[in-house]
This record gives sequence, structure tokens and C-alpha cells, in this order.
Amino acid sequence: MTRLLRGLWLERQARWGLVLVAALCGLAVLAPWIAPYDPAAQLDLAQGQYLAPSTLHPFGTDFYSRDLLSRVLYGARISLSIAFLSVLVSITVGTAVGMTAGLAGGAVDRLLMRGVDAALAVPRVFLLLVVVALWEGVSVTGLIVVLGLTSWFGTSRIVRAEVLSLRQRTYITAARALGVGPRRLALRHLLPNLAAPVIVAATLGIGQIILIEASLSYLGVGVPPPTPSWGSIIQEGQQALAVAPWVATFPGLAIVATVIGFSLLGDGLRDTLDPTTR
Amino acid sequence: MKPLLRVRGLRTSFKTGRTVARAVDDVSFDLLPGETLGIVGESGSGKTVTALSLLRLIQTPPGHIAEESVVEYNGVNLLELPAKELRRVRGAEISMVFQEPTTSLNPVLTVGSQIAETLRAHRVISRRSAAARTIGLLRRVGIPEPEIRTRHYPHQMSGGMQQRVMIAMALACEPKILIADEPTTALDVTIQAQILELLADLKRQLGMAMLLITHDLGVVAGIADRVAVMYGGQIVEEGPTAALFTNPAHPYTEALLRAAPRLDAPTARLPVIPGAVPPATRWPTGCRFHPRCRHAWERCTAEPPPPLATPTEQRARCWLVDEPVRRKP
Repeated sequence: MTRLLRGLWLERQARWGLVLVAALCGLAVLAPWIAPYDPAAQLDLAQGQYLAPSTLHPFGTDFYSRDLLSRVLYGARISLSIAFLSVLVSITVGTAVGMTAGLAGGAVDRLLMRGVDAALAVPRVFLLLVVVALWEGVSVTGLIVVLGLTSWFGTSRIVRAEVLSLRQRTYITAARALGVGPRRLALRHLLPNLAAPVIVAATLGIGQIILIEASLSYLGVGVPPPTPSWGSIIQEGQQALAVAPWVATFPGLAIVATVIGFSLLGDGLRDTLDPTTR
Repeated sequence: MKPLLRVRGLRTSFKTGRTVARAVDDVSFDLLPGETLGIVGESGSGKTVTALSLLRLIQTPPGHIAEESVVEYNGVNLLELPAKELRRVRGAEISMVFQEPTTSLNPVLTVGSQIAETLRAHRVISRRSAAARTIGLLRRVGIPEPEIRTRHYPHQMSGGMQQRVMIAMALACEPKILIADEPTTALDVTIQAQILELLADLKRQLGMAMLLITHDLGVVAGIADRVAVMYGGQIVEEGPTAALFTNPAHPYTEALLRAAPRLDAPTARLPVIPGAVPPATRWPTGCRFHPRCRHAWERCTAEPPPPLATPTEQRARCWLVDEPVRRKP
């Protein structure tokens, strides 16, 4: 682990990714202590609407006179947790399906992979809109499950391809030659070798999920108000883009920073975890 | 003595597209308890496929082992055994060491846990006693500081060390037969000698039989009791090591021996065997060696010779055994 971190630190881009991601996660965790106001508190509905950024409100305030900095900080908690947990769901399902397909081969493989092909052919946001529309009053947990269960297709393909290539390695034949059974072979000998591509897929997936969650919230079917998520703040700010551009700008910048951070980290992880580039 | 392993008419083929490669084509041999049988042959002669077929490690498809083939261990045909029972034989009764230690060890597992895997696959054994036994095994294969080494990953070791780990894995459950597929090919010469010595020592201590596959005649001469020479997916000659080396019956064996460098009779240029091994998809008719054989006559192109017994205790697939007068000086 320390070796991995050192390897990441030595690469310039990955170092930026690491710093950005660490900073964002730190801010999200520490939000209750560093946020200057309660994110839901309507401070002064009479005179506090759409205040421009100032020393009192570094990011300004929104229509309900809520402090935007506090909302963006708390929004980070929601947006990042949704992203982490959905990615956890998606890589678990993706790895399981990919390994099953790769190891079983034959009809099972064909069936699973054609299913994945079909699912990939449907536009993601459209699929999500249908699911969320059918599911009345979706909660944050529900959103995590739905996001997770609609984003594992790519991972399952990567894992399947990796399993097909790993299966041919001598050490897998060697393990079989020494009497290791199929279940142990899959879990003890294959799975750890899949860590690198799966971790990379996960870091890149986090950026994507944040974007998708933002677009869903922007379309009004994501995180239910008044809970602040970056997407929902942007959605609220969009109506006042001409009067108070800061409302949509700051959460937007936060999303950009997160996606860049995770992309850089993902690229860096791919380089450091891949033994052929070492 | 009753053979420990009885192989009869082993045929393994691979289907690629519309062509069929008959990589192993009618191989039969016996392995007696405690003996070392060397299988020699050049690349593409079917040595490795033979070894993998014995434990059914060939991927099917594209591979296929003919139904009438027999690989009998303790009176049981391994080729007909249900997968679950076959697993009990693999590693516990018959073990295998592979050619390249670097690729036959899992890069993401510590060597200790890999050795423990074999133990835990066959015995009900606690994590702790498996770890203790692993350290004992590492010491036995001559790895210094086994308590520290057990926690290392394969890439932290040299090739020779890795091969010792592989041997420790293969011998963890004290098998009756060890199949060693070119165990020293990837190692440098001094390490080769050490590994061979280690294998010979362990074989004696454990009373195992060993099937040693190699392309190096020197290795075979050093430790094998009997030798089988493979060419074109068949055993072309088989016999006691000394007899085979002094009186090779098959022209291929003879040519191989002549092509090997000798310390006692150095020559400027080594004689070579003209031509190349034909592809397994198109074996020549008759004797498979006839296009490269200097003795070949009409009979060799027409009729495939069966294994024939020679006066010097060998068996050779060569019509010269039948008609010795045809042998050219």
C-alpha cells in the first residue's frame, strides 16, 4: 500500500489526482466542522437572497438565502458517498458477472455477454430516467442501488477479458496441476490478479457516477430536496443564471475538480499497478 | 515390478480451424515405483503435451484426448476419473513442476501462501500448521532464512529460488510421482546443476518416481534410469539409459547423440540433423522420421514401424531393427 502511494506520488499527474481526491474527501468528511452555516438554514429571506460572494459568504447565497459554501461542502458528502457506494455495487456485480462469464465459457458466457451488449446499447441516462420514473419517491439508498446496477456492464467486460487471458497463464495451470479446486482457483488465484484493472475501472467510474448523479439531480429526479447534492444545487442555480451565476458555478467547479482528480488518479493507478510498465 | 503409472496408446490432438494437430500420437510407457524416466525430444515433439495429458491439464476444446487412451495410476484410469476425484490425485499422488518458474508462480501471492495452498487443497490443516509446514518445506528445498522468505513475493526471488519454491509446492503432499517438465531450461547452468541435484536428492528421500522431461541429453544421462526419445508425437526409442546411449537403435537417437557436444571428443563443428520437425498437422506417411533419415528406403515411406524390441533391451520404431543389414556405415 505504501509502495503504491509512493509510486503514485512519483508520477506528476497521479500526484495531482491524489492531492485533489484527498482534498475533496477531506473537505467532505470535515464539512460539519468547517462549514460556516447550516446548509439548510434560510438565513435572511428578506435581504439575503442571491448575495454575491463576499467575505461573509465566500460562495454567495441562493434564492432561499442559504450559504452556498456550506451547501457545496455538504453536497460533497452526498455526491461523493453516492459515487463511492454505487461504484462499490457496480464493481462487485461487474466482477462477479465477468468472472462467471470468463470461467464458465460456452453458452453461459454468450448469454451474459449478449445481455451486457444489449444493456450497453441503451443510453445510460435514458435507462436511469425510466427506472427512477417508475420508482416513486426514490431515496438516496435507492439512487445508489439504481446507479450501481446500471453501471457494471463495462466492468464485467473488462473482467471477462482479463479472466480469459489469466486462464492461460502457467501459474493457473500449475495450481490446477497441484489439485486446487475451481472455487479456490477463482477466489484465491484469479481474483487478486484482477485487482489492478478493477481498481482502475472503479476510479474512472467514480467520476462518471458523479456526472450522472449531477445530471439526474439537474433533471429533478436525483437526490430529493432539501438535501444538497452538487447536481441539485446546479439545478436550482440554473433558474438564476443571469442574476446570480455563482450558484451554479461553484458546484460545477467542484464537479470538474472531482472528475479531473479521479481521472488523473485512475490513469496513474493503471500505470503503477500494471507490472509490465514497472 | 508392477508399474506405478501405465500409459497406453495416449493420443492428444488439437483442433484449429479445419486442421487437426496430432501432437501426441500413440504414446505408451510404464513408470516403475522409484525410477526416473527421462523423456527427451526437440521442441514440438510432444513431450509437454504428453505430460499435461497425464493429469488432464489440456484445455478442451481445442484439445482432445482420444477415448481409448489409458493413463493408469494404481489400476485407475485417470482419463475416465470424475473431476473431483482427479483433483485428489493432482498434487497429492502425482505432482508437477513446470518449465519457467517465473510464470508458474502467482505474482500476487506470497510464496508461503502458495505452498500452503497445495497443503490446504488436500489436507484438513489449520492455517498455522500449514504455515509451519511451509517453512519446513522451504528449508528442505534449500532456501536460506525460510521464516523470512515465506512472506516474500515471487518477484523478490531469483529464478533458481523460484524453481525451489515450485518444487516445494509440488512436494508439499509427498506425491508418489513427480512430473518435471523441463525444470531447468529457464535457469543458468550452475543453478541447473543445483536444481537437478536437489530433485535427485528429494526423489531418493521420498522414494518417488520421476518423469523428467527435457531436451538436454546431458541432464538425462546424469539422472535417468530409463530414457524415452520422442519424435513427431511418438516415442521412437525407449530403453535403459546406458544401453540407449551406447547402442542407439533409432537413427534419430543416433543423430541426436552425435549432435550433442562432448567434452571427451571436441570437434570444430557439430553434425546437424538435416531438415526440420514436420508440423503436427501433416506427419509424413510411414516412419515420421524418414524424410530426415539417411538410412530410409521404400519400406520406411510406406509402412509406419511399430515399436520393435532390439537385442540390447531397447524398443525402437524403426525398420532397421527388422532389417539391420540396411544400416549404412
